[in-house]
Amino acid sequence: MRRSLIAPLAAMLTAVPLTLAAADGGGDGDQSWTPPRTAWGVPDLRGVWDFRTITPLERPAKLGDKQVFEGDEAAEFRVAELGRRDKDRRASDGISAEQDVRNAYNQFWWDYGDELTEDRRTSLIVRPESGRIPALTPKGRERYSAMRAARARPPRTPVDRGVAERCILGFNAGPPYSPSAYNNNVHIFQSPGYAVLLIEMVNDARIVPLDRRGHLPAHIRQWRGDARGRWDGDTLVVESRNFTDKTSFRGSGANMALTERFTRVGPDRVLYEYTVSDPESFKAPWTAVIPMKKTAEPMFEYACHEGNYSMFTMLEGAREGERAGGHETGGDGQ
Amino acid sequence: MSNRRFRTWAGILVGTLAGVIAALAHHAFSAEFDAKRPVNLKGTVVKMEWINPHAWIHIDVNDDGGKVERWMIEGGTPNTLFRRGFTKTSLMPGTVIVVDGYQAKDGTQKANGRDLTFEDGRKLFLGSSGTGAPRDGRDPIER
Repeated sequence: MRRSLIAPLAAMLTAVPLTLAAADGGGDGDQSWTPPRTAWGVPDLRGVWDFRTITPLERPAKLGDKQVFEGDEAAEFRVAELGRRDKDRRASDGISAEQDVRNAYNQFWWDYGDELTEDRRTSLIVRPESGRIPALTPKGRERYSAMRAARARPPRTPVDRGVAERCILGFNAGPPYSPSAYNNNVHIFQSPGYAVLLIEMVNDARIVPLDRRGHLPAHIRQWRGDARGRWDGDTLVVESRNFTDKTSFRGSGANMALTERFTRVGPDRVLYEYTVSDPESFKAPWTAVIPMKKTAEPMFEYACHEGNYSMFTMLEGAREGERAGGHETGGDGQ
Repeated sequence: MSNRRFRTWAGILVGTLAGVIAALAHHAFSAEFDAKRPVNLKGTVVKMEWINPHAWIHIDVNDDGGKVERWMIEGGTPNTLFRRGFTKTSLMPGTVIVVDGYQAKDGTQKANGRDLTFEDGRKLFLGSSGTGAPRDGRDPIER
């Protein structure tokens, strides 16, 4: 059994003033705390969990080996990061017209959250210790470059655009889940033998059997991978395989082995840990940990296909570019 | 925090996270809208479509010759409207709004609503500074 990162993280949490336990009065540093159980006796993870954070996935390179902010650094980094993300900045703040278009609309619409993780980590990635995604292999780099190049070309059909723009997968829905612009909520349901992970982005429900059945045959590939779950102590472990070559998570390929771990560490906290293992794509596996906070807010439907006028506008924009001389690019979205 | 230290952190962030920014928008707005076609439209709301993935506001705009043009203005996800307390009665037909945005690349009468205001200058969709504080000049990230 692979060693979880929960214990080392708990140690890290107790080493800084703002622990999860201090924040919610309930738990992560309290080893005597016992997670509630369902009527059928497994840890109860049910509820809506908010995984917004402005802690970056990868540690900014200039921070070197610094794993945790010290002193005023966290507050300073937070202010700088919020300033960088502030979509109310316009030309008078030095924003170019091109960036202004990419920002799309003002701050009202964006919901990244406004806090770093309470343990003051400098990156969500905890392994490798660099806090950064390991280098791509030559094969991974080649595939990633090809995907980027294809996306940069003017789209001939909707298939030429990314899966998020086509309303197939949400851009924060992975799997794995990754804090992003909005809809950073996941609703966990449980019943005997199953867990369901419903993320608010594009109504993406992953139904996870917990009965130790095997994975699908290797030739059957799925947008979200083929998920199988089990309990490791009080942790729900979800192993996903059988991804497709039509999606990529930060450079991953169809043969990514994704392991996600959900551990309830307090009344209002779940620690979400995932490990990407894909030797075809990355030179080493890598792991991120994201605290999820319980929220009383409801989930809202996000029926992306309902009125996706934007796809027509993008395709028409590409045709207009061709009529004007063929200099149009595909834009910089998903 | 001093401006100098702020600039240092901002420099680190801009330098290292720039590659992530493009992955955060739902759509490639730069594929839809033209940075060389900024528009400033004053129009009367005809209807608002609360649809996914993005809400659209339809407005009638009087051009210089007295002709009325119908424009469609793209906003963000309707989830955000709910969460921010915006309801179906918050923007009624007949309301006059001003659109500061960019026209679609195909030249049709569609634009993104980069900033939307009422006639008196109040923002239609009022964002906070990102810290939850109002924009009153006192928040350190306001510049």
